[in-house]
Amino acid sequence: MIFSSELIKGTLKTILLKLLADNSKMYGYEITQKVKEMTADRIQLTEGALYPTLHALEQEGLVTTQIEYIGKRVRKYYSLSPAGKSRSQEKLSEFADFVNTMKILLDLDLKTA
Amino acid sequence: MYCITDEQIDYILNDIRRGGIETEDLQLNLLDHICCIMEQELKEDGDFERLYHATARQFYKTNMRELEEETINLLTFKHYYAMKKVMIGSGALSAAILTTGSIFKLAHWPGAGILLFAGIVSFSLLFLPLLFVLKAREAKSARDRMVTGLACLLGIVFSLATLFTVMHWPGSSMLWFSGIGLSAFVLLPVYFFTGIRQPETKLNTILMSILLIGITGLQFTMMNTRPSTSQTYVRVQSWMQSEALLKAMQTSHQSEQAANINALCEQIKSLAIGHAATDPVHELKEGRPGDYFFHNGEGLQLIARLHQAVTAYNSQHNAEMIPIENSLLTADPEHLGHVYSNVSILSSITQIQLYLAHAENNGLASAK
Repeated sequence: MIFSSELIKGTLKTILLKLLADNSKMYGYEITQKVKEMTADRIQLTEGALYPTLHALEQEGLVTTQIEYIGKRVRKYYSLSPAGKSRSQEKLSEFADFVNTMKILLDLDLKTA
Repeated sequence: MYCITDEQIDYILNDIRRGGIETEDLQLNLLDHICCIMEQELKEDGDFERLYHATARQFYKTNMRELEEETINLLTFKHYYAMKKVMIGSGALSAAILTTGSIFKLAHWPGAGILLFAGIVSFSLLFLPLLFVLKAREAKSARDRMVTGLACLLGIVFSLATLFTVMHWPGSSMLWFSGIGLSAFVLLPVYFFTGIRQPETKLNTILMSILLIGITGLQFTMMNTRPSTSQTYVRVQSWMQSEALLKAMQTSHQSEQAANINALCEQIKSLAIGHAATDPVHELKEGRPGDYFFHNGEGLQLIARLHQAVTAYNSQHNAEMIPIENSLLTADPEHLGHVYSNVSILSSITQIQLYLAHAENNGLASAK
């Protein structure tokens, strides 16, 4: 099954920050493929959500960019800035807390889920 | 793997631009992204255009512009909460300052002017524009946005008109009239015809329109409650009668003190008459004298000097030759601007001169 985009929307920044923390630099298409691969197609990032969020992260100074020319087109690589690294830690621990809380709230048994 | 040609890159880029993507960064990102997918999926003999449109179609719900809008939204959203806080803060603060200022003004405490000024300025130039920016975001249609903009503009014009009136600055009636005009002929029609079409807002629109008409009408009435022209005519004439009597009573023999008092009186009168000196009966418009008279202006200093001179004259003659009670000499300078019109200043000054002429004539008579 594929998760609904509503579920993904709130965690998109966390996903991107974590991916960039684990990989030194990535470009948009690579990110979507990586997520697809890691989740066995269960999470598919839409371009309509990915690029606006990447631009927002860039404006907040959490990621830095690097341009590479490929023939006539340009590829934009994203990597974490120092501020982005610490934010990625914060976002991850926040999300872990959130999952634990949801577990209690919704009375989930994560092991069987 | 298929290799995208330069022509195909141009084709894709042009299509993205036509689709409404204006941010260059976003154009390049999308171009590279689409190229990657195409290179993965397109066969050597595949239909480029068909695959391109099918790929691009997955990026959005109804049109490509969504991506651009979402990007801009995310970029500006960060400021949204800060703006909202500033808006509520400035609104509450200016309301508080305005109320305090009004109380100070009523009680004649110092600092009322500064408080009113700060309150109105922060209300009209900070709170209202922010309100517009934030409300315009929530507006569903361009018409709604226009109504919000007009309403905020009207609020700004009325606030500034009040400020100008309170501070006795020139141009306040211009502001009032343009505000009333804007309200009656632009905001009301636009608001009414926008709201009346939607059944769910119909009742509210009718009620709000009636309220707006009422408020605009009341303001228009306020603007017109100044002395009527025929009354002014009569009052200027009666002042000119007194002037004629004064001329008849004045003799060339007068004491130095009396000459000094008369000179001061003439200066005050010429200030009050202003430009209407040649034909006061027809040209003099009754109204509050302008700023020059009341805010550290010449008029107030002259009145103060006249007060001194008259008091000295009275004490030298050991009698109240010129009664200063009930004249403008004893009026509180703070009140002068609200109580005395230019015509009543003229009358009051001429009365003083009449008393003086009477006293001088009597003195001459007894000296003979």
